[in-house]
Amino acid sequence: MKNKINFYLMEFAINALLRQKYKSIFISVVFVLLTFLLTSVFFISNSIKYELNATLDALPQIIIQATKGGKHYDIETKEVSNILQIEGVSDAVARVWGYYYFQNAGVSFSLVGIDAYETQYKDSLTKIAHKYEFETEEGKPSMMIGEGVSKIMKKNYYKNYFNFIKNDGSLKRVEIAAAFESETELESNDMIVMSKDTLRDIFDMPDSQATDIVVKVANPNEIATIASKLQFMYPTAHIVTKEDLSVRYQNIFNYKSGFFLALFVIALFTFFIIIYDKVSGLSSEEKREVGILKALGWRIDDVLKEKFYESFIISFFSYIVGVALAFAFVYLFEAPLLRDIFIGYSELKPSFELSFVFDFQTLFLVFFLSVPIYIAATIIPSWRVATLESDEVIR
Amino acid sequence: MIELKNVTKSYLVGKTQRVTALKDVNLNIKEGEVIVLKGASGSGKSSILSLIAALSKPTSGEIIVDEKKISKLSDNFASLYRRDNIGFIFQKYNLVPNLSARDNILLPLVPLNLSAKEAQEKLRSVMEMFEIAHKAETIVKNLSGGEQQRVAIARANVNNPKIIIADEPTANLDEKLSLAFIEILRELKSLNKTIVIATHDPLFFGLDFVDREIEIHNGSIVR
Repeated sequence: MKNKINFYLMEFAINALLRQKYKSIFISVVFVLLTFLLTSVFFISNSIKYELNATLDALPQIIIQATKGGKHYDIETKEVSNILQIEGVSDAVARVWGYYYFQNAGVSFSLVGIDAYETQYKDSLTKIAHKYEFETEEGKPSMMIGEGVSKIMKKNYYKNYFNFIKNDGSLKRVEIAAAFESETELESNDMIVMSKDTLRDIFDMPDSQATDIVVKVANPNEIATIASKLQFMYPTAHIVTKEDLSVRYQNIFNYKSGFFLALFVIALFTFFIIIYDKVSGLSSEEKREVGILKALGWRIDDVLKEKFYESFIISFFSYIVGVALAFAFVYLFEAPLLRDIFIGYSELKPSFELSFVFDFQTLFLVFFLSVPIYIAATIIPSWRVATLESDEVIR
Repeated sequence: MIELKNVTKSYLVGKTQRVTALKDVNLNIKEGEVIVLKGASGSGKSSILSLIAALSKPTSGEIIVDEKKISKLSDNFASLYRRDNIGFIFQKYNLVPNLSARDNILLPLVPLNLSAKEAQEKLRSVMEMFEIAHKAETIVKNLSGGEQQRVAIARANVNNPKIIIADEPTANLDEKLSLAFIEILRELKSLNKTIVIATHDPLFFGLDFVDREIEIHNGSIVR
C-alpha cells in the first residue's frame, strides 16, 4: 500500500543536506541572519510605529509658542482669553512644562504641570488629575512619575522624593506620590507630572506666564484656518499644528530607519550571492547525482520534489529559527544595540520598552521575501539538469 | 524483445561539431538472451546501451522493446520505462558516495513510495542474493571495489527488471572479482533475465552462457 507522503523522498532530502553539512550550515546561518535582521527591523518598527501613532493621537491640535529673535520664550497666560474669542476654538490651555536634566544619571526628564480644576489638553492627563493629589497630607508638594523616571530615581536613592535644583542653586524637594503607566511608552516613560505652581517654582516662572498655549479646535478640518488666524494675531509666535509635529516625528523615525536599511542591504547582498550561486548551476557532483537518479527511474518531478523538500527543509527551518531569535531579541531582550539606532533619544527617554505588536503580515512578508526565493533558486537549476538526457549528464 | 531498427546516434561536441557514434545499426535481442557487445573504446558499445535504457534518444531510427517504441517516449515515460524494465550496472558503479549501501540500493524504490514492509522485503532479498547484507549500513565510499560492485548489482536488481544492462562491468575489478561477477551474471541468466553487456574484457569472450557476441567498430556492427 502506498503512503500519501513519500517519506523515502523526504529521508533522501534530509540525507542530501547532511551529506553536504558544511554547505548546509553556511546557507542556514546566512538565512537565519537575514530572517533575524529583517524580522527584527519589522518587529521594532511595528512597535515604534504603534507607539508613535498613539503619541500622535495624543498631541494637541495647535500649539502657540512665543518667540523673540527666533528663540522660544514664555507666553503670557492672559492670551488664553483672547484666543478663546476666535470662532471655531473650543478650548485653550496654558501649559507649563519643560525638561529637567538630571546630571547624576545623565538623562533628561519631561516635567509637566497640571491643575486639577482645569480642562486638560489630553485624556491621559485628565486621568492623572482625577486620580492623584499634588499635595501630601502634610501639605508638601508631590508628583507622579513615569516608570522610566521611577527606575532612574530609585537607582540614585530617590525612592520617596526628589530634590530639583532651581535656577538660584537652591533645592526644591518634591515627594513621589506614585509611578503611572500611560497608554504610550514613548510619551510617558520620561514624564513627571506635578502641579503648575510647583513646576513654576522649580522653573522660576511667574504665575502670569506659561510655556506655551495649546488650542483645541471643534472641527479638525478647520485646524489650518485657525492656525493662520492665530499667526495673524501673533505674527512673531511659532504656531505648530498636529500635522507639523507628526511630520517631524515621522522624519526622525525614517532617518533612523536608514541605518537598518544599510544592515539589511548587507544581509540581502549575501543572500543573493548564495541565490546567484545556486541559480548559476549545480556542481558537477550534483549534476551527476541527478543523472544517476534519472537513470535509476526517477522522473523529472521526483527529482524536483526531492529538491523542493531539500530547499524547503533548510529554508523553512532557518526562517523559523530567524523569526524565533528576532522575537526573543526584540521582545525579551529589548533589542540591544539596534533599538538605540531606531529610538535614538537615549538621553531624553531614560528607558523604553518595545510594545508587543504581533503582525501576521510581517511574518508573511519575511517568509515570501526569503523562503520561496530560495526554493526557486534551488529548483530551477535542478530542473535544467533533470530535463537533459541522463546519458549526457552521467558522461 | 529488443529491436534496434536503422539506428543512428550522433552527439554534438562543442557548439558545432557533430560526432556519429552509431551508424544505421540493426539489432534484435530475444527475451532471456545474454549478449556481449565487444569493441574498442569509443566504438559505440555504450551508446547502444544508453539507447536501449532510454537514457538517450536516437538521432534517427527506432528502438522497440516489448513492442513499445521507446525511442519516442517522453522524458517522464522513459523514466517509468527504466524503472519497470531496466537494471543498469555502470562502469564506475555510479553509486551516491556518501550514502550507505542500503540507501543506495533503495534509490530506485524511492519514487515508488512502497510500504516499509514491501520495500524492506525487496531490499532484504537482493542484499542476500548478492551477499552484501553484512555491509548494509556501511557508507559506500568505504567499501572495496568488489563490494561497491555488488551494491551496484543489487541496486540494478531491486526492482526485479527484465533487462540488465552492464557497461564495462569489470573495468575496475581484478580477475578474481571479475570471475565472481561473471558467476552473478550466470545466476541472473538462470532467472531468465535479458542481459546486454558492453565490454572489451577477454574474460567475457567464449562464455558458455553467453548467447551471442557482437563486435562493434566505428559505430557499426561488424559481426
